[in-house]
Amino acid sequence: MSMIRDASLAPSGEQKISWVAEWMPVLNLVRDRLRSEGTVDGRRIAVILPIEPKTAYLAAILAEAGAQVSVAFQGVMVHDDVAAGLAARGVEVFGQSGSTHEQELEYFGEVLARRPEVVIDDRADVIRLAHTTHPEVLETLIGASEETTSGVIALRAMEADGTLKVPCIAANDARCKYLFDNRYGTGQSSVNAVLDRTNLLMADKEVVVVGYGWVGKGIAARLRGLAARVTVCEVEPFAALEAYHDGFDVLPLVEACSRAELVISGTGVRCTIGPEAIAALPDGALLANAGAVDDEIDVAGLREQATETRMARDHVEEFVLPDGRSLFVVGAGVVVNLSAGEGHPAEIMDLTFSVQALSAAYLMQNGAGMEPRVHTLPAEIDESIARMKLEALGLRIDTLTPAQEAFLHAWEAFS
Amino acid sequence: MSASVTSRSNIADPSLAGEGERRIEWARRHSPVLTKLAAERLNDGTLRGRKVAVVVHLEAKTAYLATLLAEAGAQVVAAGSNARSTQDSVCAALVERGIEVHARHGAAPDDFTADLLAVADTGPELVIDDGAELTRRILEHRSELAGELQGVTEETTTGVARLRAMEAAGTLTFPAVAANNARCKHMFDNPYGTGQTTLTAILRLTNLSAAGKRFCVIGYGWVGQGLARRAAGYGGRVTVVELDPVQALRAVMDGYRVARLEDALEDADFVITAAGGTDTLPASAFPHLKDKVVLANAGHQDLEIDVPALGPGTEVRDRVTQHDVAGKRVYLCVGGSLVNIAGGDGNPVEIMDLSFSVQALSVHHLAAGKVPAGLNAFPDELDAVIARTKLESLGVRI
Repeated sequence: MSMIRDASLAPSGEQKISWVAEWMPVLNLVRDRLRSEGTVDGRRIAVILPIEPKTAYLAAILAEAGAQVSVAFQGVMVHDDVAAGLAARGVEVFGQSGSTHEQELEYFGEVLARRPEVVIDDRADVIRLAHTTHPEVLETLIGASEETTSGVIALRAMEADGTLKVPCIAANDARCKYLFDNRYGTGQSSVNAVLDRTNLLMADKEVVVVGYGWVGKGIAARLRGLAARVTVCEVEPFAALEAYHDGFDVLPLVEACSRAELVISGTGVRCTIGPEAIAALPDGALLANAGAVDDEIDVAGLREQATETRMARDHVEEFVLPDGRSLFVVGAGVVVNLSAGEGHPAEIMDLTFSVQALSAAYLMQNGAGMEPRVHTLPAEIDESIARMKLEALGLRIDTLTPAQEAFLHAWEAFS
Repeated sequence: MSASVTSRSNIADPSLAGEGERRIEWARRHSPVLTKLAAERLNDGTLRGRKVAVVVHLEAKTAYLATLLAEAGAQVVAAGSNARSTQDSVCAALVERGIEVHARHGAAPDDFTADLLAVADTGPELVIDDGAELTRRILEHRSELAGELQGVTEETTTGVARLRAMEAAGTLTFPAVAANNARCKHMFDNPYGTGQTTLTAILRLTNLSAAGKRFCVIGYGWVGQGLARRAAGYGGRVTVVELDPVQALRAVMDGYRVARLEDALEDADFVITAAGGTDTLPASAFPHLKDKVVLANAGHQDLEIDVPALGPGTEVRDRVTQHDVAGKRVYLCVGGSLVNIAGGDGNPVEIMDLSFSVQALSVHHLAAGKVPAGLNAFPDELDAVIARTKLESLGVRI
């Protein structure tokens, strides 16, 4: 039995799910393959991802391929109509917008009570619960596939201290995921969400991008395409040099913030934009978080010191500080493309969710024999997804000639 | 709020005023140039008691302009220039601010015209127009009121063309200013404003990816140039369609593929019209569209895409309809209306800060009564004042 806000919203949700289905040709092929091979037939899969049209469609194709699917997520990223539409497609859904922390624990509890064999997780939230408060789940859990960079970091930490009891696939580390989703998906949709919610101009804006991983790179590229002036902040010397060679200003955070009109965080680290950076920001500055960690911007700290807060526009909260400055947080400081938008473009999630579906299938088939550590998706599966996408796009590529192949595998000096 | 303003106005829902206020306040916050120029130049009494009609897309930025004119003493009456871009919450807030409004979101064509004629019937002396929507209706339906007109200042390329046609026909018997042709307007609003917001609106309406996609931009005027640049900035591959050989050559030099319409359509994932006329994308070109193409219009006219020829559509997402065109799926954004404003909040506030500074100074200039009948340019010295005020607000010195 699903736990959602309003089942009568299903038609609107169904419309959104059907739309993205049109733009996810690879995932449709994956569904057909799983269905014909019976890989997930009758198997229990938990999908812990923001409940929006694309994730809903992933859950739906797994169900269409025969799996028993249950879905849950925190309310800040639940579209109630999509939840209703997915439930109407026969998937158990646990989530509603505006849910409390207690409710969310209950939702995750419901999903875990169904004893999933494979979990498709986001930020390793449910894997962590299975290893702490719900250890009984581990008896029947074959493994998990993790969506985000930050989740993979948490899983590696669990592996390092010997806590991790099941094999996990770092779906995020598949090339078909991070090369496209983190960069082009987050880049376009985060920048778009900020523009859409603020109705402001990007040309000529002083924008600070904090973190120059795949997410930061994608955001900086799109900001440049919109003629913003971009400054990158990094802690990692290689990434900083990369940003410099890509033609961006590189500065320490507090210095960069002192002239920022917009700050976008994409580090995956808690309290990236802390008190010092906040103190340096000029009046009117906008803050948005594009990373997977909710507290990259210290919104709680802002709220504590604010003398007044109000919604300046939908999804834009103004914090009036004691010194008279107003700062504006877009999307509550939670990953902005989802909290203040519809998440990544459908075609990008076609790749990501094909990775997830095939990771889940791989675990079903091979998980029992896999070490309880963090694995990557086998390269040939990753590559098969890329080839399916190229084909769907009508793009052809070349292959190595036998002579070229031989050259690449030879070690002797050629005469 | 004056009871008579409320009773004279024709809006959808007065209870939405709170939301409209928030939107207008946000626009004010990001409009330093207009705010400064209004304080320095509008309040000299020239506008006191003058009847000013503001007929521009009725959303927050326009509302802020109307408010400043009212604060300068003008009797302002407002209506929208396109029923699909009218925001009911903003209309409600304007009425609460004591400004008469005749506009309802989504009004049928007859109701839209009735609203404009209601504005005409207030006998405006000065008009801030968009697409000459009010001016041409006054000439067509209320010619007896044309004598009241002491000045029209026009916002768009399309409207300026219409005024020019009136001048040629000898019906432009009052002073008019081509505000669109001010450098602080068309050099920023058309490319940067429309360029950015058209792209963001299409991507949001569809939730699709731009990277790697083929964009066909039809028309390489100021708007088309901005569209091409932003589409490329989003990772798109751009093909430009242009009839004017000089503009076409410019697109080539700017690095875009230039092709004839039918060739450009063959591989286009997104087609955006920005030619400013009608039939930019005629039915005769439809056979060249590819399956699952997304169509959107960035020009003033709703007539650039031959929407009736697309046949009936079914809504597949909010404001996106699917049409079957000879077995191909064609997706149309907001019924072919200008997509950035009917599918979004319109141009960015900072851009409209410039455009509406032009309009504010233009209407003030007309009100002073020294502009001759016929179509006039916006004075260069006022253009320069606006640019300098903007640079100053940015902390840029030259």
